[in-house]
Amino acid sequence: MKKEMLRFSGVSLIYHTKLGETKAADALSFSVSEGEFVAVIGPSGCGKTTLLSLAAGLLKPSEGLVERQGSCGYMLQRDELFGWRTVEKNIFLPLEIKHIKTEENCERARALARKYGLGDFLQSYPSALSGGMRQRAALIRTLATDPDVLLLDEPFSALDYQTRLNVTEDVSGIIRSEGKTALLITHDISEAISLADRILVLSPRPARVTHEHTLDFGEEKNPMRRREMNGFSGWFEILWKELNA
Amino acid sequence: MKKQKSMGFSAEHRQFLKKRRQNVALVWSLRLGILVLLLGLWELSADLGWVDPFLTSSPSRIANTIASLYDDGTLFYHIGTTLWETLAGFAIAVAVGYGVALALWWSETVRKMLEPYIVVINALPKIALGPLIIIWFGTGSTAILFMTVLVGVIVAIMHMLSAFIETDKNKMLLLRSMGASKFQILTRLVVPSSLPAFISMLKVNVGMAWIGSIMGEYIVSRAGLGYLIVYGGQVFRLDLVMSATLILCVLAAGMYFLVVLLEKILLKNTEN
Repeated sequence: MKKEMLRFSGVSLIYHTKLGETKAADALSFSVSEGEFVAVIGPSGCGKTTLLSLAAGLLKPSEGLVERQGSCGYMLQRDELFGWRTVEKNIFLPLEIKHIKTEENCERARALARKYGLGDFLQSYPSALSGGMRQRAALIRTLATDPDVLLLDEPFSALDYQTRLNVTEDVSGIIRSEGKTALLITHDISEAISLADRILVLSPRPARVTHEHTLDFGEEKNPMRRREMNGFSGWFEILWKELNA
Repeated sequence: MKKQKSMGFSAEHRQFLKKRRQNVALVWSLRLGILVLLLGLWELSADLGWVDPFLTSSPSRIANTIASLYDDGTLFYHIGTTLWETLAGFAIAVAVGYGVALALWWSETVRKMLEPYIVVINALPKIALGPLIIIWFGTGSTAILFMTVLVGVIVAIMHMLSAFIETDKNKMLLLRSMGASKFQILTRLVVPSSLPAFISMLKVNVGMAWIGSIMGEYIVSRAGLGYLIVYGGQVFRLDLVMSATLILCVLAAGMYFLVVLLEKILLKNTEN
């Protein structure tokens, strides 16, 4: 039994506004184990981002318990690189915020950047980077503090289709080779199938986990090759039906 | 270096670059041309008696007036007085405005509390406070400085506050997910991302500062360009009015260009 890195136990969340209250999550229960890649899919507006905010500790649940082992790194839809900082300074940002900007940590972050093809761009500004490279820089920024859990909020959805396939491959490769635990939120069924070990399906608002699947692609972790495998369309059909139920 | 570089381009691209340079040259010669034309026409109509130079002055009379101000040593005294009031007022308005805007960004309660007051003060024509300012601050430079600050500071507050509030929500979320404190969000994100707004606020406030200082000199003064304009109007020396106005144009434009220069230096590396 692997160590559980993230656990939701009966988590509910209610948003309060002037006009009333909205239940965004209803008795959510699931867990993510160490080194596992879990994708969460759900209809748009079902409270997927709420789930990540809860996991990151940015929101407190109205009911239930969120437990997380270790630190987390958050990656958003857009790269959100700061245009006034060089790529290197962007990557150092979380180190600065956490007051752990030691020479050792900086060198580790630089090494990651070099390893994943950003070495020549460390002193450039983000505007000099392509969309795919920007998203890679955003991932390396997330990894700079060596977080135990990665929270990915549709990190590919703002990219055009071709870039998206490439970046998905990139990011998946980096996360797998760094052995990170990841929780991915997406509305793209095929993206979820191509990336994850396990998929959770959420209901429309308020979000509940309606189905849970462990994918049977064995040791094949590469998203491109997974897309070509026989089981892929079968999974797509199942998830499509569950999403539209 | 530049020449070598352009040698590498295709003939069509060289043609394109040449056309662009020609276009820039054309625009500049037109700009200068219209100035020369207007000044010439003005001079000519005054010389030939088409208009009364007593009422309209003329470029040569303006030149003479400025020369005589220079000769009796008062030219730079007046320029210096107004320039000092304007620059000091500008600096204080910008600094205070920025500080107040930061405080208002920091505390939503304070912001909501002060909002109606700021709106009212913004809408109030500051010149209405003229008599009060004279009584409170006397008839010296302090009164004019106060007027200049008053005209600029509210604009600075409102401009910066709206920029601070519009800070990218996703970038804030990102920083919060890293565990950033409010102060870190301020220094790492809110201040640097509002730099373009800061520059545009400076540009607006250059104009505000001149309005403030000249208005102040209209109400109460014994020196300065605004004083020369009012005095010239009272004694019907329109040459003096025109001369002071012209100098004002040059100074205001110069100050604006300094801000543009600052913009080029500060925003060199950002994508905004």
